[in-house]
Amino acid sequence: MRRMAAIIGCGAVQVGKYPDRLESELALDAVRMALLDAGIEKGQAEGIFTTPDLRGGIGLQANLLCEYLRITPKSMAEMTCGAVAAGLTVKTAVNEIMLGQIDVAVCYGAERECSIEWFKHFGSALFEPVALQPYASYGIIWAYAMSARRYMHETGAKEEHFAMAAVRNRRNARHSPVAAFKAPIAIEDVLESRNLCSPIKLLDSSASLDGAAAVVVASAEFARRVCPKPVYIMGWGQYHDNSCIIPTDRCDKSISSFVATREAAAAAFRVAGINPEDVDVAEVYAPFSPHELIIPEDIGWFEKGEMVKAIETGETEIGGKIPVNTDGGLLSRGHPWAVTPFYQTINVVRQLRGEAGENQVPDARIGLVHCEGGMMNNVFVLILGSE
Amino acid sequence: MSKVDFAWPASRHTPSGREFWAGLKKRKLLANKCQLCGEMFFPPRLCCPACLGDRLEWFELSGKGTLYSWTEVFFAGPEFKTPFLLGLVDLAEGVGRIASRIAGAEAGELKIGMPVRFTFVDAGEDFTIYCVTPDTG
Ligand SMILES: [Zn+2]
Repeated sequence: MRRMAAIIGCGAVQVGKYPDRLESELALDAVRMALLDAGIEKGQAEGIFTTPDLRGGIGLQANLLCEYLRITPKSMAEMTCGAVAAGLTVKTAVNEIMLGQIDVAVCYGAERECSIEWFKHFGSALFEPVALQPYASYGIIWAYAMSARRYMHETGAKEEHFAMAAVRNRRNARHSPVAAFKAPIAIEDVLESRNLCSPIKLLDSSASLDGAAAVVVASAEFARRVCPKPVYIMGWGQYHDNSCIIPTDRCDKSISSFVATREAAAAAFRVAGINPEDVDVAEVYAPFSPHELIIPEDIGWFEKGEMVKAIETGETEIGGKIPVNTDGGLLSRGHPWAVTPFYQTINVVRQLRGEAGENQVPDARIGLVHCEGGMMNNVFVLILGSE
Repeated sequence: MSKVDFAWPASRHTPSGREFWAGLKKRKLLANKCQLCGEMFFPPRLCCPACLGDRLEWFELSGKGTLYSWTEVFFAGPEFKTPFLLGLVDLAEGVGRIASRIAGAEAGELKIGMPVRFTFVDAGEDFTIYCVTPDTG
């Protein structure tokens, strides 16, 4: 797969609240920006792949976009698979390109005020809600809190260490073109913020906000023709741990380290032909600050428990061993959950093009995007590289 | 709006769990066993996750377990009284892990790895739910 396709254009609206705008209008903004950035005509987009319109629900939003923009794709789909869906749109685009079906695709997502409603109803699944008591609390903050507590128990991490990750993200968000939260915060602010599900507090959490983002994916041959700085797809890996949120089946799956991240990352490194230490910059999908410590360990940059020290010594800062979430992460960028992996991908592309400004990681050539669905149950890891 | 400790599960009438809920009313915590391959499993399903067979029976768990993790919930749906404690409990039989309200303990008394036992609470008409409490006996 190495370097057979590339990302040649990106567009995103700032994450925030858009009460007066339609979801599809936000999508149009992102798609137009991405086409402009790629420097291609709309008619050259032969593939259109998008994440779900969670309110419409029947998968016709891409049709609407096509009529609105007068484009006639040869391949299109709306994909739903938790928050890995955005990653899967890129995967599908690359697969179609490698099969010779298309040369160029636009992958996009838009989200407005969806998450909160959706989480209220989460839990009516195939299983009886016997083991996970959704009637005990809305949403899944409590599940991530259980994971955080277990990680503290096994590694000696304190709430201060989680707070350090939130502070790092906020510092990075300051120079992000898309982040919603830029006001500086200190460790004490995080520790004193409102308790949600101990040990997770308000400033340890990502806010559900509106957003829209798009990337243009093209065959390597097309990319070299039109794009001065193509960012190549080097590989990906995906893995599902056969659980949904907290593993309830038997008692043998960890929630302080996640097998799906470990396996997906290992597969992605194998396909890309690189080692974890070859990665220069990374985006990890951590909806809560404790997972800013857990995920880099699972990807392989640190041994289990080493992130406790590493977050203190700045190993994941810009200039550190592996800069993570250099434009604020989910916590400070804001988290339109289905669209977030597009924002992650775009930040890595900006880094690899050398366009990240104040937050630029020097000589960044290889980047990694981690996204997940459930509580790290279904993980997709994408590896990108510049020339 | 008066606040509650427990609200009705949205999908309590799915076939795989009906017997489980009926068991709680009788103060029994039930799990499945496959008649074909002998696999014991939890939570309930309509087929065996090991061999996919659908000849299943129910058996009663000991009602004992170990606290695997816990949280104090301050932020929940508007109908719930907060805060409350939630535990994640490994069932003694090793067949599954279960999230449960914790009763009869304060946050400061909880320790990962401590033994717990299941209790039963009649939380509404025709609705009995399980809780866990530290097992001092
Ligand atoms: Zn069986």
